Amino acid sequence: MITGTAITKTFRQRGGVLGHREVPALRGVDFAIERGGAVCFIGESGCGKTTLGRIIAGLETCDSGEIVIDGTPMSGLSPRRRRPYFRRVQMIHQDPYSALNPTRTIHQTLRAPLALRARQTGRPKPWIDARAEELLALVGIDPGYVLPRYPHQLSGGMRQRVVIARALTMDPEALVADEAVSMIDVSLRLGILALLRRLREQLGVGVLFITHDIATARYIGDESELYVLYRGQVVEHGPTETVINEPVHPYTQSLLSATPVLHGLERPGPDRIVPTEALDERHGDAGCLFARRCPLATERCERDRPVLGHDPAYPTTQRHACFHPRRRQVIPLAAGA
Amino acid sequence: MTVTALPGAAGRSRRATLRRNFWRGVWRVLRRKPSRMAGVAICALFAVMGVAGPLLYPAHLPRDDDALYAPPSLSHPFGTDFEGTDVLALVVTGSRYVLLTGLATAVITVALGTAVGLFAGFRRGWQDTLLMRLTDLNLAIPGLPLLLVLSTVWKFESPLEMGLVLGLLGWGGIARAVRSQTLSLRERGFIEAARGLGLPTTHIIGRELLPSMAPYIAMNMLIAVTGAVYAQVGLFFLGVLPFEANNWGVMLNLAVFSGGALTTPAALPYLLAPLLAILLLTLGIVLVVDAMDEIFNPRLREE
Amino acid sequence: MERHLTAPGVRIRGLTVVYNTPSGELPAVSGVDLTLAPGTITGVVGESGSGKSTLALSMLNAVQPPGRISAGSVEIDGLGDVVRLRGEELRRTRGRKVGYVFQAAQNSLNPLKTIGAQLLDLGRSHDVGDLRALVRDARELLGRMGMDGARVLDSRQHELSGGMRQRVGIMFALVLDARVVVLDEPTTALDMITQATILRIIREVHDERALTTLVITHDVGAVAEVADDLAVMYGGRVVEHGPVAEVLGAPEHPYTRGLIRAIPRLSGDLGLARALPGRPPTLGTLPAAGCVFRERCESSLDLCRTAEPVPAARAGRTVACHLPGPHAVPVKRKEYA
Repeated sequence: MITGTAITKTFRQRGGVLGHREVPALRGVDFAIERGGAVCFIGESGCGKTTLGRIIAGLETCDSGEIVIDGTPMSGLSPRRRRPYFRRVQMIHQDPYSALNPTRTIHQTLRAPLALRARQTGRPKPWIDARAEELLALVGIDPGYVLPRYPHQLSGGMRQRVVIARALTMDPEALVADEAVSMIDVSLRLGILALLRRLREQLGVGVLFITHDIATARYIGDESELYVLYRGQVVEHGPTETVINEPVHPYTQSLLSATPVLHGLERPGPDRIVPTEALDERHGDAGCLFARRCPLATERCERDRPVLGHDPAYPTTQRHACFHPRRRQVIPLAAGA
Repeated sequence: MTVTALPGAAGRSRRATLRRNFWRGVWRVLRRKPSRMAGVAICALFAVMGVAGPLLYPAHLPRDDDALYAPPSLSHPFGTDFEGTDVLALVVTGSRYVLLTGLATAVITVALGTAVGLFAGFRRGWQDTLLMRLTDLNLAIPGLPLLLVLSTVWKFESPLEMGLVLGLLGWGGIARAVRSQTLSLRERGFIEAARGLGLPTTHIIGRELLPSMAPYIAMNMLIAVTGAVYAQVGLFFLGVLPFEANNWGVMLNLAVFSGGALTTPAALPYLLAPLLAILLLTLGIVLVVDAMDEIFNPRLREE
Repeated sequence: MERHLTAPGVRIRGLTVVYNTPSGELPAVSGVDLTLAPGTITGVVGESGSGKSTLALSMLNAVQPPGRISAGSVEIDGLGDVVRLRGEELRRTRGRKVGYVFQAAQNSLNPLKTIGAQLLDLGRSHDVGDLRALVRDARELLGRMGMDGARVLDSRQHELSGGMRQRVGIMFALVLDARVVVLDEPTTALDMITQATILRIIREVHDERALTTLVITHDVGAVAEVADDLAVMYGGRVVEHGPVAEVLGAPEHPYTRGLIRAIPRLSGDLGLARALPGRPPTLGTLPAAGCVFRERCESSLDLCRTAEPVPAARAGRTVACHLPGPHAVPVKRKEYA
């Protein structure tokens, strides 16, 4: 089990004459993922979701806050002692084209981590090749076909499966899938999502799914939780189906409204929200972070920052950070209904 | 326990297959353009010349006092020198020193430059800063004047000594280039994935980074050979190095300064023969360099 | 500048584009007939390797070696057959008559020059007499797309976000007053909100400037939002072509059906959603005879192995399939007729 508490991260950008400009990427994010659970982080580019994923995978460190893996807080450990813990969290990169070394065959790519794993667990050498074939079969590709090949000989979908198989070599507890399907043909995305779902059920691997496409979050499986990130803050959090079907935060509603409508199959939801401006990090930090783009913002939103929680005046299943929560019908409806 | 032995054997044969496929790929790449085959042939010719050439001639080349500066003929295709020695024989016997120096220089520059560049680019931080200052220092050393000074105390009798000095002077450029390549490669997904998997640094540098840079390194190595040939031939030509044995630079020097090849046509073949050899060697290398990208990139190799 | 407000029609007939490979010349586009009605937006959808990008390049007669147009014609009103154009005449056509927004337009700007400088280069290379007017038009267009035109023209690529670069790409395609516009994957790598904005802009600019637009994408959702007509490509053939709502609402071709079922959606039954089986064909793996889709088809017939289906009119569209239609789902004309 992995939990994060009050994770913050600020990037310093070089900004001309006046020296550095600070860009907060994460402003106190809490999350928890159970064994075999699924957590989705949703937001547009620049919302901090990728940074969060990298921190969870141990590829970056946070400025403050705590990551706890299996009851062990990471902040007290030296980088060397942290490594075995973060090895239990494997990253699946967005781009299956750059995630595999073009000069190495799939066999070589899988063999290196498996050899390491064999040493760690005291397994004999023959286990390595057997395990490579087993893992490829698990992710749904023919080992005989794939093993001797180079990445350029495989399709995008196959490469992403190989990447997942490589992540599984370390017997991870959780996978961080950062936009894991966005560079794959739409026609094959559901296959990868179904695979992640199956890994949850079969192996009890937790999945942290990071995406800008909120629709894909539905396919990660039951009992998943959705966190909507906006400029480094969680603005809405709850069970995935609830957040998608009954969103209360205007930002969540904008994200959902932006999902294309398949005319002929669907018709647009009646309450679609279009955010007024593009995301600009230079927007001030006073008040609600979304206020500048929110069509519903009031004076209070410009002044105070709402915190994530339940609103006693407007009870919902999910937590949200909005002064004016209201359920809106923004997702497309079936065309006939 | 034949069962446990089998997969190991399978792994070995898999590696053997890979190696075989690699060399087949190399052959395919070379055959793609006739110019590449020509380049390989030229390089092979020089290699044979360097290894076996001196064995074809007696230790002391025969002189023919009746034919000083003889014009090209059937028995002397490039004429003779001031002592009546066959110029072609001089070119062939002189090639070993030149080629060995070139090779030694190339190996040292590439090994040092690649090691420094890889380490600096991969580690970053203070190691990077330190190594890059060292590189700057190396780049800032004026090579020729230093060699002039060195030659007053050192005779450079062995080509390896010469190669060592030239190599130690010349690794800076490659270190810089390899470092910048490493910096961009280390951001690639597969390097990050290797780190996330906890693979050892030696694996990441040796097995993941290095092969991606192989074409680059190989090209630099070949080009370093030509650079080293020019440098040492130049030094001998200028006459700043005392020469014990015969080599191309010495020939040029004697042709111009003793034979007056720039003014008298008689010594012209004596001047042109080593020049032609250098030109041919450079041409061969340039033609081979053209194939490097395709040889080390599996996609281009297979097509 | 006076604009004659009639959009040109485009008729592609028997277009075949072959690529020279080690195993001979292989067709990436084979015998495609496609008519773009004046003033419509046509979406071309297909997986990677379906030939859609090659088709788009043919509209400019810009197929690069080792590819070449081996047969067929692309007739554009007021311009004639683009395939026959050569040299200077062809160069002038590109940009002036046919605007093109390249795949990954985000990265196709010169990083060293300001947008304004690149605009002037474009103007000079097309012998635009009044460069001031050109800049004015560009500023107007950028303003129309919700940007500060003057600021953008003074910017370099790295100062603009992905969505802004895409809009700059659209500006370049339109500023010389091209009436036929081809957009290749205009929303790939953009997040949902930016994608929605770009799609809206494409639609609005299309209507205002009386264009005939072709949008190439692998994302059915993205074209469903903007297009009037939808052409589905597979293995270098157009397998179904008709009005968007009808093709999506009642797909006739099994490939179209599979493609639609594979879209991750916000509504609809999760259990019915499924990735397309198999993998997209490549030039080398296309079957030589019969229907190109038969190996991935759920209901292929014996006939499909031997005879290639000819595109034929049915149910208000063109379909290339041996299976008899119409299928179980009736066209819902209630709302979209």
